[in-house]
Amino acid sequence: MKRILIVAIAALAATACTPPAAKPTAAELAVLAPGDARLAELYAGACKTCHTNPQSGAPLTHDTEAWAPRWKQGEATLLDHVVQGYKGMPALGQCAACTPDDLKALIRFLAGKGED
Amino acid sequence: MISRRTALLTGVGAVAAAGAGGAFLATREKPEPAAPPSTDKDGRLLWRNWSGIEHAYPAERLAPRSEDEVAQALKTALAPVRVVGAGHSFTGLVPTSGALMSLDSLAGIAAWEGDEAVVWTGTRLGALGPELAKHGRAMPNLPDINKQSLGGAMGTATHGTGVKLGAIHSDVRALRLATPSGDILECDAATNADVFQAAKVSLGALGVVTQVRLATSPNRRLHRRVWIEPFEETLAKAEARWAQHRNFEFYAVPFTGLCANITHDETDEAARVRGPDSDQGFLEALKQLRNLLRFSTPLRKAAAKALLGSVEPEEAVDEGWKLLSTERPVRFNEMEFHLPAEQQLAALREVVATIEAKRPDVFFPIELRRIAADDAWLSPFEGGARGSIAIHTYYKDDYAFLFTLIEPILRRHGGRPHWGKLNSLKAPDFAELYPRWNDFLAVRRRLDPDGRMLNPYLKAVFGV
Repeated sequence: MKRILIVAIAALAATACTPPAAKPTAAELAVLAPGDARLAELYAGACKTCHTNPQSGAPLTHDTEAWAPRWKQGEATLLDHVVQGYKGMPALGQCAACTPDDLKALIRFLAGKGED
Repeated sequence: MISRRTALLTGVGAVAAAGAGGAFLATREKPEPAAPPSTDKDGRLLWRNWSGIEHAYPAERLAPRSEDEVAQALKTALAPVRVVGAGHSFTGLVPTSGALMSLDSLAGIAAWEGDEAVVWTGTRLGALGPELAKHGRAMPNLPDINKQSLGGAMGTATHGTGVKLGAIHSDVRALRLATPSGDILECDAATNADVFQAAKVSLGALGVVTQVRLATSPNRRLHRRVWIEPFEETLAKAEARWAQHRNFEFYAVPFTGLCANITHDETDEAARVRGPDSDQGFLEALKQLRNLLRFSTPLRKAAAKALLGSVEPEEAVDEGWKLLSTERPVRFNEMEFHLPAEQQLAALREVVATIEAKRPDVFFPIELRRIAADDAWLSPFEGGARGSIAIHTYYKDDYAFLFTLIEPILRRHGGRPHWGKLNSLKAPDFAELYPRWNDFLAVRRRLDPDGRMLNPYLKAVFGV
């Protein structure tokens, strides 16, 4: 039974193959952080755990391919998702001290769009 | 909980068993629950708890950077003043139309007194582990989730598992309390002793606990074992395992006839790092089985046993803070009651039977832990060791049945609710459950006569 299932997994994996895209490595994810000290503190406390963990389901920091369809939704939608919570993402990223401007800057950083 | 590969096997197996139509059913995802607007009509920003069922639009948001700022804010901020950490409580402890205070800027270890660490209560548990480890020390025990602030975890009597290990607040040897009048009270067993016994578990109702002095233990490596076995076998061996292991807990998985067992024991073995977290994959597999086979409990159990029953155990060796407490990326709602230890397994049987008879939509495992006694006035573990039963529901699923079907069972077995988790109890109920209830109320009235710390939920809890 398990052999059959393993074959099924392999088949699924084969059909799911797509051209490789540049994704941040685990080593890069471990050290990526905003340059601004306050943002870096907020990022470490509220974003980093999930957005550097491939198992979390969250788009990884600076994974531009994963962020592209999200970024297309526009800043207002992304901000709503962060403030209200969305799928696995808890509201405000559990950062009660974050302001909307903080959140916008963090979204930009996560998506690899800079911090401005 | 189990390996990622196994979880994948489970999910794929369930899908494969039913073909393309089954795959659609198994993977069909409910829409996101409706969310409140990001701002209210006055432009105030939304606050929402982790699971999403509590929310508010606070008029003020405060992030004090010193104890003096905390004390000053308590005097002048718009009431009710509520403090928030990670927002992991499922009850209405946090929502306020007044001031919402984050202690995220008051974090870290402030000092050491021997092996006792003086810690700012805004410190998240996940950040405290590595800081203590730098000194070769650790918290004696940890809860499952590491995102909570120390203050929030302590104030709601958050706990791990282990018959010789108390909840987090049982390791507090002293604390500093900023009161609603703007004073700072130093409290321990000898100084302000009544406030100390009241404040260790106080739901943020007495003011703001800014610092605690925590007893620590050597930062030992633990050997973690996870395995699955039949439900009846786990129940037959549970008491012996609680007696034998430093930490033992198990998850009863409804509609499978199985339990997942987890033990941790101190060891000098070399580290064997735990692999990637697999809980999310495991839960997804259980959800797909639910989606596909909820119409037939026998079929659902047979499929689950075939796919999960022979899973190989997992093992890891690492420092305790890396193993005992982790992220929980899948959101849920939860009810947990703490029962007299001798009632725990009988109550579990009733809970599982009820869910399997009436709620085929449930797929989350039920968690059972054991907690040592302590003497804080509002500690659920006051007066004797307790056994906890925690029932979870996916954040998109109905949780109202927890109040109508599950809570009566847990109360009938003498349970006290977790202060941060779903329950419908009010002041008269708590007065019956806690011998020092009136003593706590007296301290609360003395420290906060105007009720500046009380939101509507806490007014109902305290009967104000």
